[in-house]
Amino acid sequence: MAYMLGAYSVAWVIIFVYLLTIGKRQTKIVKEIEFIKEMEK
Amino acid sequence: MKTTLNLEQEPFTKLKDSLVHRVLVWATIISILTSFYLIFIYAPLETTMREVQKIFYIHVSSAWVAFLAFFVVFVLSIMYLVTRKRIYDIYAGISAEIGVVFTTIVMTTGPIWARSSWNTWWAWEPRLTTSLILWFIYLAYIMIRQMDGAWDKKARLSAVFGIIGFIDVPIVFMAIRWWQSKFHPIVFGDGPSQKGGGVEPEMLVALITMTISFTLLYVVLLQKGVYLEKAKITVENWKEKLREKLVG
Amino acid sequence: MSIFTNALSIAWKDLYSEWKTRQVLTTMIIFAGLVIVVCSFAFDPTNNTTKAVIPGAIWIIIVFSGILGLNRSFVSEQKNDNMHALLTAPLDAASIYLGKFLANFIMLLIVEIVAIPFLFLLFDFREMGSFPYFILVLFIGSFGFVAIGTFLAALAANSRSSEMLLPIMLFPLVSPILIGAVQATKIILTNIDKLPNAISWIQLIGGYNVIFFVLCVLLFEYVLEV
Repeated sequence: MAYMLGAYSVAWVIIFVYLLTIGKRQTKIVKEIEFIKEMEK
Repeated sequence: MKTTLNLEQEPFTKLKDSLVHRVLVWATIISILTSFYLIFIYAPLETTMREVQKIFYIHVSSAWVAFLAFFVVFVLSIMYLVTRKRIYDIYAGISAEIGVVFTTIVMTTGPIWARSSWNTWWAWEPRLTTSLILWFIYLAYIMIRQMDGAWDKKARLSAVFGIIGFIDVPIVFMAIRWWQSKFHPIVFGDGPSQKGGGVEPEMLVALITMTISFTLLYVVLLQKGVYLEKAKITVENWKEKLREKLVG
Repeated sequence: MSIFTNALSIAWKDLYSEWKTRQVLTTMIIFAGLVIVVCSFAFDPTNNTTKAVIPGAIWIIIVFSGILGLNRSFVSEQKNDNMHALLTAPLDAASIYLGKFLANFIMLLIVEIVAIPFLFLLFDFREMGSFPYFILVLFIGSFGFVAIGTFLAALAANSRSSEMLLPIMLFPLVSPILIGAVQATKIILTNIDKLPNAISWIQLIGGYNVIFFVLCVLLFEYVLEV
């Protein structure tokens, strides 16, 4: 039982870490767009 | 000479996901929940391995997605070398990344299973060892993509490596299987991640649903990653224009 | 066949300049010697069971000293923009690959000729199963290693950190060769009764060599584009 829970939680932790890095990428791009808009004004 | 960038008309200013993407995200969430229901409640317990056998579903389906992702890299690498369109390169890069993520899942769930059923963390079992080598090959692929230099050079070199690396995989598998079978007695039977050995129909349904939902997850991640990569390239171009404007 | 004569002249150029400086070859041989010394510290040579690690030690020497030579093979062309000169010369990309391959292969063979007897001497290894087959395994294994290694060295030379990139790309890709060659060497050196097994390993390596040699020749022009 413990092994099964361990395996499933590890797998989902890996997927969520990847989702987090994607989110980070997105916020970085959003910030850069904001910055460019600021410069445009 | 003053040119404005017309940011409001550009598609990436708000980073809004398309309708197709949102539909796919919800489909993925629903199908993953469904497969959890099928795995934990619907599918029967295996008689000898009990709950541990349930690792099988996530292990096999992520192995399938990883292999699919690397196959996509292989096809897109050929297409890039033939057509030289940047979009193929972007797709290949994101696909390799997702493939590495799913191979990591295979590499972590595999030893947990091995520990519980063979009482050892790591067995040099052909499939597990091949996944390890696969993992290293595509880490190298990602390192090539992070090389210094112009994008077309990196795209060309990584496409070449994507082709060579994928062709290497079956040979690695064959070599490791020979190595294991000829010089050691077969201790562990045929390995656990086997279709053989009495898979009940309920288990098969759960496995197929899990595989489909992971494939959907792959498609969603690919779409999102490519979208962000495109946005990144556009932002780089804007920055370049802005720099020219500020200098000139 | 102009491809082969061009390849020969490129290989000749490399080997001749190596003969003038003897820089890379000396380094490779000294490095091979050091690997042997490290191996003898790691596995006690007076112990009888260490005979079992000799096949592995042979291939560790080949791989690690081979990678030193491969690293230099294309990076050395970047001085004075030699690579551009090679590309603008009326040559087929395949002949550059073949020439470089030939030069690297010959250099690695020289290292093996010096280092492996030295290894046998230091580890006091006398009886060998079959000498011709041993030579065959060394030849065919080094062939595949250098074939894919030369290709990836050209690929890595595009990067500023090629010395780091090359081993990371090369080791996973040559793992079938390493598995096959070590197993075949082990059988030939210590357990000659199982020769058919060794021959099937040699066939596996041979198949790998054919597939990757053809692939590398075909894909090399994409690596060299400017």
